[in-house]
Amino acid sequence: MNHEEQLILYTANQLDQAEHLSFEKHLADCTECQVDLQLWKAVAGEIIASDSAERPPAKLAERALEQIHRPAASTLVFRHVFQLLRSQVFLVQREMWPATASVMALGVIVAFVSRHAEFIYFIAPLIAATSLCVLFGPEHDPAHELALSTATSSWKLLLARLSIVSAYNLILVLAALSILMIIFPPALLGTLALGILAPMMFLSMLALLLSIWIGTSNAIVVAYILWAFQFIAYQSIGAWIGSPAITSFLIAYRNFWHSPMLLLILSLPLLLIALWSANRPLFRLSM
Amino acid sequence: MVSPTIAKHIPRLELATTCITHSMTVQEQDLDLICRMASGDENAMREIYATYGQRLFAYALRLTNDHAMAEDVTQETLVIAWHTAGKFRGDGRLIAWLLGIVHHTAMKMMRHTAEPLESIEETVTGGKASPEEQAQVEEMKRWVRKGLQDLSAEHRAVLELVFYQGLTLNEVADICQCPLGTVKSRLNYARAHLRGVLSRTEEVWR
Repeated sequence: MNHEEQLILYTANQLDQAEHLSFEKHLADCTECQVDLQLWKAVAGEIIASDSAERPPAKLAERALEQIHRPAASTLVFRHVFQLLRSQVFLVQREMWPATASVMALGVIVAFVSRHAEFIYFIAPLIAATSLCVLFGPEHDPAHELALSTATSSWKLLLARLSIVSAYNLILVLAALSILMIIFPPALLGTLALGILAPMMFLSMLALLLSIWIGTSNAIVVAYILWAFQFIAYQSIGAWIGSPAITSFLIAYRNFWHSPMLLLILSLPLLLIALWSANRPLFRLSM
Repeated sequence: MVSPTIAKHIPRLELATTCITHSMTVQEQDLDLICRMASGDENAMREIYATYGQRLFAYALRLTNDHAMAEDVTQETLVIAWHTAGKFRGDGRLIAWLLGIVHHTAMKMMRHTAEPLESIEETVTGGKASPEEQAQVEEMKRWVRKGLQDLSAEHRAVLELVFYQGLTLNEVADICQCPLGTVKSRLNYARAHLRGVLSRTEEVWR
């Protein structure tokens, strides 16, 4: 150990007796160490004075124990999500719940009467798109401004409502298909269920994004046209015009709505853009 | 004292069988405290805080330069100590182990906040008539304080651990998770820096 290190330990009173005495002998003859000793004494004095003046908070041990007994972060996240969803259930426009259910019930009746289970395939995406169009914005939510001023970001509120309404729509579709099982073969309904979900998701995400950008009514009209176009166009106009280019476009357009993977993949960016737009008032042209 | 038969059934009580509860040295008391904490005794936590809380908080405060963050660091240290008490082997001092947790937690928290360390603004009391010598001593103290504040958290930490916490250089190296040579070079740097500050002070007073 060199003298510089010994000097530090000497100041900190960490040398044993023999080392202490031997260093003191050296100190008596070494001017440089004497100067440094003054420095280290001043530093040690200052550090001891300032550190001993610090008073730790009285209840810190209790707070640590509280933290230890607090539920795990995952439980807290779950609780937070549950609270957010519960609070948003009441902020979704009330008329939406019975209206959606009634239209779906009507669809089931029409499917029964006409013996065409496919009718559910036609109306389910329309119902989903409509219900998502009325989720966000001052037109439908009297507490919209208040919600924007809370600590929860707009995109979280939108995502919470979106999840609730989408889950509700899914339950309605599954309930409708279950009822239809009375007269239709389960295999047909199984295929139908798989075919419905992807276009339902894509159309509702598109409608949601459009409702934020161009307002509810415009979004509903655009979504309905886009969805209905595949049926009207191919069966009547497509055959009537007879142009190969238009016909192939119409076939491609119809195929697009029957490509579940593509629709699901495209739904994701639509959802992300919608959530992003909800946070930025400039992009909400509807407001 | 926890009986060995009970300890056998509680995994966290690895150290309990070695606990000594009467006529204890400081190290034995520390071992007893940590054993009790490992077995879930909340009073052991309170005792540890009563014994070492001031030193842990002072060190956290020097590292963070922020009162609220120092409180968080100290609290987090107690929580980590609670959860990892069973891992304390008793081959070092309890205070060194706890300060190691403070150091690690403070560094992690400061990295997360990503704010540069700022010196605490010192309010220098003035206008009070005092003898010239007294004023000179006060001025020198102020310069030392200033010199200490200008040091980085790592350099200041080494000085704190040696002079206030009374740790050996090897313990300091363990806490700072760096080689012994780095601890020595930090001390040398601190010395050179403070020497520079003090020589300027002397020039001012000449």
